[in-house]
Amino acid sequence: MKKRGRGIACMWYPIGFTVAANPSAAVVKVNEDGTATVLTGTVETGQGSLTVLGQIAAEELGIATDDVHVVSADTDTTPMDTGAIASRTTYVTGNAIRLAAEKAKEILFQVAAPMLGVKPEQLEARDRKIQVKNYPQRNIGIGEVANQAQFVMGQPALGSASFNPPTVALDPATGQGKPFATYVYATQIAEVDVDDETGEVEVLKIVASHDCGTAINPMLVEGQIEGGISMGVGFALQEEMLFDKNGKQLNPNLTNYIMPTSLDMPEIEVDIVKNFDPTGPFGAKGVGEPTAVPTAAAIMNAIYNATGARIFSLPATPEKVLAAIKVAKAKQLAKTKQLAKPKQKPKRLTAAAAR
Amino acid sequence: MTKKAKPAGTAKAKAKPAFIGQPVEMSGTLRLPAVAKQVPYPIEALAPKVRQQTPAVGQRATRPDARLHGLGQTKYIDDMSMPGMLYCKIKRAGIASALIKKIDTREAEAMPGVMAVITGKDIPVNSFGPSIKDQPVLAYERVFHAGDGVAAVAAVTEQIALEALDKIKVEYESLTPVFDPVEAMKDSAPKVHPPASNIYATKLIKKGDVDKGFRQSDHIFEDTFSTQMVEHVPLEPHCSIASWDANGRLTIHSTLGRITLGRTDMARTLQLPISRIRMVATIVGGNFGGKNEITQEPALAVLSKMTGRPVKGTFTRTEEFIATTTRHPIIMHYKTGVSNEGKIIARKVRLVLDGGAYCSWSETTLGKACILSPGPYNIDNIHAEAFVVYTNKTMTGAMRGFGAPQVCFAYESHMDDIAMALNIDPLEIRMRNAFHEGSSSPTGQVLHSVVVKDSLLQAAERYGWKEAR
Amino acid sequence: MTDVTIKINGELRSTSVPPETTLLKMLRENFSLTGAKLGCDVGDCGACTVIVDGKSVNSCLMLAGQVDGREVLTIEGLATPDRLHPIQKSFEDCGSLQCGFCGPGVIMSAKALLDANPNPDVAEIRDALAGNLCRCTGYTKMIEAVREASRVMRDTKSKRAA
Repeated sequence: MKKRGRGIACMWYPIGFTVAANPSAAVVKVNEDGTATVLTGTVETGQGSLTVLGQIAAEELGIATDDVHVVSADTDTTPMDTGAIASRTTYVTGNAIRLAAEKAKEILFQVAAPMLGVKPEQLEARDRKIQVKNYPQRNIGIGEVANQAQFVMGQPALGSASFNPPTVALDPATGQGKPFATYVYATQIAEVDVDDETGEVEVLKIVASHDCGTAINPMLVEGQIEGGISMGVGFALQEEMLFDKNGKQLNPNLTNYIMPTSLDMPEIEVDIVKNFDPTGPFGAKGVGEPTAVPTAAAIMNAIYNATGARIFSLPATPEKVLAAIKVAKAKQLAKTKQLAKPKQKPKRLTAAAAR
Repeated sequence: MTKKAKPAGTAKAKAKPAFIGQPVEMSGTLRLPAVAKQVPYPIEALAPKVRQQTPAVGQRATRPDARLHGLGQTKYIDDMSMPGMLYCKIKRAGIASALIKKIDTREAEAMPGVMAVITGKDIPVNSFGPSIKDQPVLAYERVFHAGDGVAAVAAVTEQIALEALDKIKVEYESLTPVFDPVEAMKDSAPKVHPPASNIYATKLIKKGDVDKGFRQSDHIFEDTFSTQMVEHVPLEPHCSIASWDANGRLTIHSTLGRITLGRTDMARTLQLPISRIRMVATIVGGNFGGKNEITQEPALAVLSKMTGRPVKGTFTRTEEFIATTTRHPIIMHYKTGVSNEGKIIARKVRLVLDGGAYCSWSETTLGKACILSPGPYNIDNIHAEAFVVYTNKTMTGAMRGFGAPQVCFAYESHMDDIAMALNIDPLEIRMRNAFHEGSSSPTGQVLHSVVVKDSLLQAAERYGWKEAR
Repeated sequence: MTDVTIKINGELRSTSVPPETTLLKMLRENFSLTGAKLGCDVGDCGACTVIVDGKSVNSCLMLAGQVDGREVLTIEGLATPDRLHPIQKSFEDCGSLQCGFCGPGVIMSAKALLDANPNPDVAEIRDALAGNLCRCTGYTKMIEAVREASRVMRDTKSKRAA
């Protein structure tokens, strides 16, 4: 018989390395037509970091995403980067790029100011123009300014910068300190059907509410959430590396290492929590790893809600779920018998007795 | 196949080389370039509108590589080849713990098509690691897990390289392995990296007074949870190409997600100045933490130098499982004291991480798992202790979450058990305990930009949590 | 050596390969068509999916000699110089691919599906993609994109018919 259940799980996750320095450096060059090139040592590993970094540079320079070309992943030509790890790219590399773009923009402001008859501090970059704050009618196209900067003033508009999240080392005895600059938060709710005769669990739906600070590119955030959930579903129900008694793997292949296919994916509803972190580029934090964190917990809580069966070890294979259902049923039977007896006041409640 | 009539005035077809069996229509097809036509730019000339809009932040901008991916034009490392390139394959130990008494590569070296065979002694500094440098590039005196590489072959085809591996004779003296992390913590357990203790890193977080907190609690709950070893399974296997130029400058094209670190590792293992090394990545076909450190690159570089030709090494899917990092299995013990209203007063956590054969990113994982283990909850009294232990299994390293998915499974399952026992709704009990702006974390950090409660309420509303009771 | 002549992406080509060569290897090395990928080499992951005589196959499981005289379509054969195939266009618009490694295989499976079934429902799409593993995307945006592509293709067809 299929039993339906729902489970909720929330989590927190840090951005960047634990205490240790993990800087990123970047160079932004504004071309003489107002488009730009960004140099970053990070590597695109599929999450879409180069798109997001391009959007950050574009925002700072007041131009469009398509006006920015991002060059990456070559130690000869791009500056150092601690890497696409620990969900740090949008925050750390993004901050470095924003700071570098700001420096390039300063040169443009220096050049544009006399052209517009104002001081550099009065200028802003928007909609592909350098314009006067609160009086945008006075403006020049960014291309014209960049051209003037490079070929008339002899000051090409380029900037380089680095960023490292500020931390405080942890006390070795108490672990007290500030290990990360910022954290992200999320909740996932899972709805499952558990077949109490076979132990099979079907994840029907997951509602995922994730904080990533400002979502620089909501489509890519959704992609990370959906991908993270698929890893979470695999971790919860299917995946396991098995070893024989000699320490050799029994299933080092994709035939016997079960991972989610298109048939295993639940319906996913994505919700991005509105938030703004002033320490991140335009309020952004990160989202790469957090998406895979609460899924298994939500699914296990849903199984519990459906059947009363508590899973203590992952993955929740059908065998384990069946065994847990049997234990739950036996405990329920014992409890019913217990309730029939005269009541004794329990001093302390333990989880085992309560189930 | 029907033959088309030859158009008038066509030059007489050249005599067909003997190896082409079938007659091929259209004179000159023998000399046509490869089929893959690059679809010329611009296709659908304008870039998608959304990429042209300002401001840029918040746009659902399509990725520039999406076009290339869809056309099949994205070049991954395995799609690259260089003139004269050789192929490298690595012999895997197949035994979990042993001393290497002898490696005989002569028969393999003599095979036609095999250009070079190396072992650990050919690597100038045969050790690496993001923190503890306990991992050999090629295991030389001792094998620490069944997936250890003991020799590397460079040959003119992949097939020959694989055949050569069988011809390499290795003599092992078997040692007693240890596979269970709890067993490995005992003094009596065999040492994986003697003389060092199997417990290679620990972490402690103490806040307030847990014992006092438990005495003040109305109820105490205790549970133990455990998780399994899993693999990243990126669709693209690890792949690298090493090549040298005449000035002794090494270039590595690699699937690494961290080229700055990779370059430093190459400099260290090969004893080269950093300016003599170039590391290039294109786009990685999935990382998730498994491509964050070097694996075979120093071996490829040495083979390339010896043979004077570029050398490419691609991991098989089996090697992806046995010879790359995995996620730490963790055994998690939780003891929580709560008030009658479900407010957490004290929490004690003990984590034992299965640290595999090498440290890799275990210290980072240990740190994060320990810091995150109390959960996103306001708790005045915390004692969280974590240990990572060597075992003779596949090395555990960085994998999406660094211990967070494991501890989240534990603390959130535990939370629901507490909720059930006290007859409090799971959403409600979390709202009573969750962080808010300015909360103090387990390490005493004042948190900013905190939105746990928002995420709880928003998810609940979207799902219809309160209605569906 | 085995001689193989195939119609590849609409063009006739010949080559000669050692008999144990797979179709995947022949495509990648002899014809420089690197779109089909090697993810496992044993038919588990689907990254090597191409279409042979109208049917989607794992090219790592076919020997080159088995396609002699047959018609093979790979990812490189879908777009024309001035137009993306509707599946490629909707994958791009929906953000369906991340690292892109499984992409060519998924798109070829989708093409085989839509050629046989122009109006599939979600269950049929999931079924058609079940042999293509993806670790990055969770498949969600791929399924959306295939639905969108099927709509566009049906619209175009009905416009042509009108």
